[in-house]
Amino acid sequence: MLEASVLERIGIAIASTALALLIGLVIVAAAGHNPARFAYQLIVGSFGSGRAVARTLRYSVLFVLAGVAVAIAFRAGVFNIGVQGQFVVGGFTTVVTIVSLAPYLPEGTIGGVVLVVVGTVAAIVAGGLYAAFPGVLKAYGDANEIITTIMLNFIAIGFVGWLVAGRFGDPEATATRTERLPDNVGFPSILFDDPNLSIVGIVVTLAVVALVAAIMTRTRFGYDMVTSGHQERAATYSGVDAKRMIVSTMTFSGMVAGLAGAIFAIMIQGYFTDPSGIGNYGFDAIAVSLLAANNPVGVIPAGLLFGGLESAGSHVQINSDVPVQLIDGIVGLVVLFVAVPELFRMLAQRTGLGGDAE
Amino acid sequence: MSLAEDVTRNRVRIGTLLVLSLLVGSAVLALRFDVSPDELLVTVRRIFTYGFITRSLEMATPIALAAIGGLYAEKSGVFNIGLEGFMIFGAFSAAATMYFLGGTSPSQGHVWVAVLAATIVTALLTVVFAVLLIRYKADQIVAGLAVWFLGLGFAPFTAAVIWGSRSSPGLESVATVAFGQSPFVLLTVLVVLASWVFLYRTQYGYWVQAAGENPEALDTAGIDVNRVRYATVIFSGAMAGLGGAVLLAHAGNFVGTGETMVDGRGWIGIVAYLFGNYNPIGAAAAALLFGALDMLNVQFQTVGIEASARLVNLLPYAAVIVVLSAWGKTRMPSSVGEPYESEE
Repeated sequence: MLEASVLERIGIAIASTALALLIGLVIVAAAGHNPARFAYQLIVGSFGSGRAVARTLRYSVLFVLAGVAVAIAFRAGVFNIGVQGQFVVGGFTTVVTIVSLAPYLPEGTIGGVVLVVVGTVAAIVAGGLYAAFPGVLKAYGDANEIITTIMLNFIAIGFVGWLVAGRFGDPEATATRTERLPDNVGFPSILFDDPNLSIVGIVVTLAVVALVAAIMTRTRFGYDMVTSGHQERAATYSGVDAKRMIVSTMTFSGMVAGLAGAIFAIMIQGYFTDPSGIGNYGFDAIAVSLLAANNPVGVIPAGLLFGGLESAGSHVQINSDVPVQLIDGIVGLVVLFVAVPELFRMLAQRTGLGGDAE
Repeated sequence: MSLAEDVTRNRVRIGTLLVLSLLVGSAVLALRFDVSPDELLVTVRRIFTYGFITRSLEMATPIALAAIGGLYAEKSGVFNIGLEGFMIFGAFSAAATMYFLGGTSPSQGHVWVAVLAATIVTALLTVVFAVLLIRYKADQIVAGLAVWFLGLGFAPFTAAVIWGSRSSPGLESVATVAFGQSPFVLLTVLVVLASWVFLYRTQYGYWVQAAGENPEALDTAGIDVNRVRYATVIFSGAMAGLGGAVLLAHAGNFVGTGETMVDGRGWIGIVAYLFGNYNPIGAAAAALLFGALDMLNVQFQTVGIEASARLVNLLPYAAVIVVLSAWGKTRMPSSVGEPYESEE
């Protein structure tokens, strides 16, 4: 898909999504539900009301950040399937850092801001380190990063789950979770009524997208990263240490994933729960990145689409009998179709629509 | 390559495999307990019982089956990274078939029909996957991941449509036949041996290897490379489906919550054949190591060791990372991942 022109990529992304949604509706009908009603609920659930829009934006923030994390690695020819694990490690680190430092800082706004900053930096470091590990294993041990990052996801989820249930659990809470973040820690709710969405989260996300896009296209580091991903030999001749590049790419990618975890912990949860039940942001982010052809800016519309789907999913769950797992299946279909640009090229040629693609 | 040669050639691997499994076991014990060597020995004896072996074999069976399938696909030049997804489809189809045939108390016959049906259903799904990979040159990594997502989404979805919940009600599990073993364990042993013979002793096995190593030569010899690849990819999906179905038959109900009941076994299957250096017997041995690590948990509880189940459950994943870092350099067939186009 990286060889395709920009227009062609956008066409393929739209066609993949449309086809996946269409199949989703057919399945809804086959399962005995009304597809028109389901489609209507998807729209209402994603941006039919102020609340729905806020919910969509809240999820989109996470999908965009996690999607950027995936895109960084994929762009450099490294498969970081471990964004979910880095996200979990980052979010958990944030909460633990803030909760353990809180007693030493003043309770007012200034203390809160310091805690948020320190907690976020801790998440970025933790996410980066957790991703650097499979990077090192790939660069110096030749261990396939697809497999190691997937294993590290399972380990992160299990290990953090163990910590949340045990050592860092809140004994007073009935559910399995850590202590709550102190009251002075959080993002201000300017512009939105939603307690789980802050303009700060959106601004940070957009800033990260801009920063990553700038690094990828305007710096030596970004240039080396992308060349070593697609023309390893050329990069080596121009003096790039391919092994170190793998490690730094993974670290960079994991840092963004860790940041996504921090935003999740601070803006949305306010504590950290058993990570086996927090949602598959890191996995869906793979789909987001692919849909955006691994372009950091393209991740914004793709992330909005997935945020909308997720948001519609929680609406559907309450207001309809259609099992919400259908949305996950549709995401899988989107990924599948994105993998096969050739299919759409042929379809386009057969039907005469945009047939000049070749 | 004879079996004996195989063992000799890989004796370092096999030896380390054993040492590693013992080390991990004793390390866990030693870390948790301040005990004398004698006491440790007694505890170790209480852990490594006959029942432990039986359960380890049962646990290893689905992994070994998926691993054999994946091995054939990759040998022929196609990386089927969708094994996990196909296992989920297999487990779900088996549960659904069993439920439709015999409700919540299916008979032994129903179990076998269900396993067969699940294998066929998964094979049919894999046909679509194979066409996308081979005919339409889909990105193998991305399409494989998609299969995983499809499994994670549609299996629980369909379960919810059928049972009103992401998991099925309890369905009867299989009876044991010979030597106190599940019939599926014996079936797997047969499959492993047959795959070995097929791969290294028959003409077709030679074609499979050539399709991955030197497709041009195979093409020149007049063999359709893509036809061989279709066969191996469909076989890999069918085997993963069979693995999922066997997992279901042993567990007795479909669990669609979290990462589903397959819970990473398909991924471990990939590691098993990588570690087994693309040899069916090596892959099965690696699967057994992971199965045994998985079962340690139950043993610890039986013996009364208070290790956190959650942590012990992580052992197989950690082992995979250790194994991969130590033997990352398995020699991949040279044409894996590249679509083949005949000059014709």
